[in-house]
Amino acid sequence: MTEITSPGWRELLLEHWHLARTLRRLEIVFEPERCMGLFECYEVCPVECWRILQDQDVVEFIGAGRCIACNACVLQCSAGAIELRVV
Amino acid sequence: MATVFMRWLERRPATYERGIRLLTLGRLGAFYQRIQAEIGAEDRVLEIGCGTGALTRQLAAKAAKIEALDVSADMLDYASRDLQARGLSAHVRFSRMDALTLDSHFAAGSFDIIVSSLAISELSALGQEHVLRLCRALLKPSGSLFILDEHEPEGPGARRISRLIRAPLRLLTWLLTRTTTHPLRKFAQKLASAGFEAECLQQGLAGTLRLFRATPLASFRLKEMPALVTHVQHRPNLRTRVQDLWALFFRVIPPYPSVEPGLYAIGDPDTASPVLVTGNYDLTVRRVVAPLDRRSDVWLLVVDSAGINVWCGAGGGFLTAERILGAFHMSGLERWHEAKRMILPQLCANGVDGDLIRAQTGWQVHWGPVRAVDIPDYLENNFEKTEAMRTVRFPLSDRLEMVSATLGLYGLMILVPVVIFWGHLFWPALIALLGISYFYALALPWIPGRDGLLKSIPLAFIVLAGMLVYSLVIGSYDPLQLFRRGIGVVALSVFVAAEMQGMSPLMRGEQANWGWEALIALVLGGAYWLLPGLVGWSA
Repeated sequence: MTEITSPGWRELLLEHWHLARTLRRLEIVFEPERCMGLFECYEVCPVECWRILQDQDVVEFIGAGRCIACNACVLQCSAGAIELRVV
Repeated sequence: MATVFMRWLERRPATYERGIRLLTLGRLGAFYQRIQAEIGAEDRVLEIGCGTGALTRQLAAKAAKIEALDVSADMLDYASRDLQARGLSAHVRFSRMDALTLDSHFAAGSFDIIVSSLAISELSALGQEHVLRLCRALLKPSGSLFILDEHEPEGPGARRISRLIRAPLRLLTWLLTRTTTHPLRKFAQKLASAGFEAECLQQGLAGTLRLFRATPLASFRLKEMPALVTHVQHRPNLRTRVQDLWALFFRVIPPYPSVEPGLYAIGDPDTASPVLVTGNYDLTVRRVVAPLDRRSDVWLLVVDSAGINVWCGAGGGFLTAERILGAFHMSGLERWHEAKRMILPQLCANGVDGDLIRAQTGWQVHWGPVRAVDIPDYLENNFEKTEAMRTVRFPLSDRLEMVSATLGLYGLMILVPVVIFWGHLFWPALIALLGISYFYALALPWIPGRDGLLKSIPLAFIVLAGMLVYSLVIGSYDPLQLFRRGIGVVALSVFVAAEMQGMSPLMRGEQANWGWEALIALVLGGAYWLLPGLVGWSA
């Protein structure tokens, strides 16, 4: 099986430090004009942050304050319309 | 904690070689010579899992051309430098490669000899079968496969005795060098079902160490559908109840109980039944099987997620699209499955690239419901999720379960130093910890604050008020005692509330709180030790 290569102590500490610093401030940045209407974000979000606008065939982000910054929508969006970053 | 443990487990080439020598009591040399004697000077040789190059050295002294593979860069580095120092490296090429991907690097029928020493047993059962099939394809029709490995004795009695005798040596070796082996089971059958005729050339250590020579059978065709499938059922028994109890309190402590990765059948599935994917944490698999057993006919593809649940596994990089693809290819599904439909857990979407799986397999990939109990309805509903199926809730039962899981580890972390340094505080600390934790679990939805850290403020006030009432009614604390215990319960409240945040995908990970927790700990610690002295307070 593929081995799991564990990072060194320094990288681990830095990674945790980085997470502790940024996790609270990460926000979804969504570009509606790039949305292709695949609704993968709606499909995977565990905390109901996306709403489908039926008449326009696109989604709308409604999760400010509820988003848990899990990165699922960012990873699954084939259009690259969603970003998670410190604003 | 898990990462600390894994770091310690990491193998280093020099200690690995020592460990293997210890485990085999130095008997490997004779086996290596036997393999060497079977090799002709013109042969093209493939070595799977060369490790530190102990066998490669012997082969290099004889064969014309050797391809030596390993998954570990450290091992390859060690082996190639060792062979260079001995002047044996001219005909050896070292490559970093996973044995499971052999077919994409070498053409069929390109080797006279394939050898492997103590490497096949490192693979999962499914991986072993897959690699044996690949070996058969890579060998020339007249070629031979030599496999030297540790085997479990046949028969339950012999197996138990052998384990008992080996246990002290295994433990000692593992502690000294972090090296161990995983004895092969029923290996002759595996060779036969991969299309080999096998004979045991040599054995040692009471038959546990065996060298097999396997030659390709001329008249053999790989079966398309698995003739023998492993069925899984939901059958709670004493063992699963003990596992549940352990999981209730200590699930965060590795090593995690895990299920052998592979393809399993639930009910009576056929070539059109849906394929469900999940991680190989024991509790995860059992919770997926329970609602499906006796209700649906499906395939369950259990993927190696390092024994971690799907959400944390995907978030931590252990359950990935690559891992799922690996299990998918090994399972042989693509050869016989007709509906080509795969259902991934919605809660692995944070780390598994669905598009990559679609592109590599050409299959339809759906995101299933959040909770395993909803899977049967979801399947009957033609893969349509209701709003409730796609949303994470954190009901009382989950909250009680997760607070217990947190208490197991954190209880030890907090109570062990208390017992050692402040023995008289054990019972108050234990009662406070249990009381605060379970009260928080009960009252969570009604405690104001949008995340765990903010909720810890009202929690701390409620707990302080409770302590005040207790001290007025029953206890008779003096002011200094009251102050110090007050600090204690505030610290516990912050810790419990801030850490519980990470136990459900309802709020951001608890790492978001670590900086604040450290700061609050400093302030509280300062107050605890300095303030009474500054204001001239004494008991």
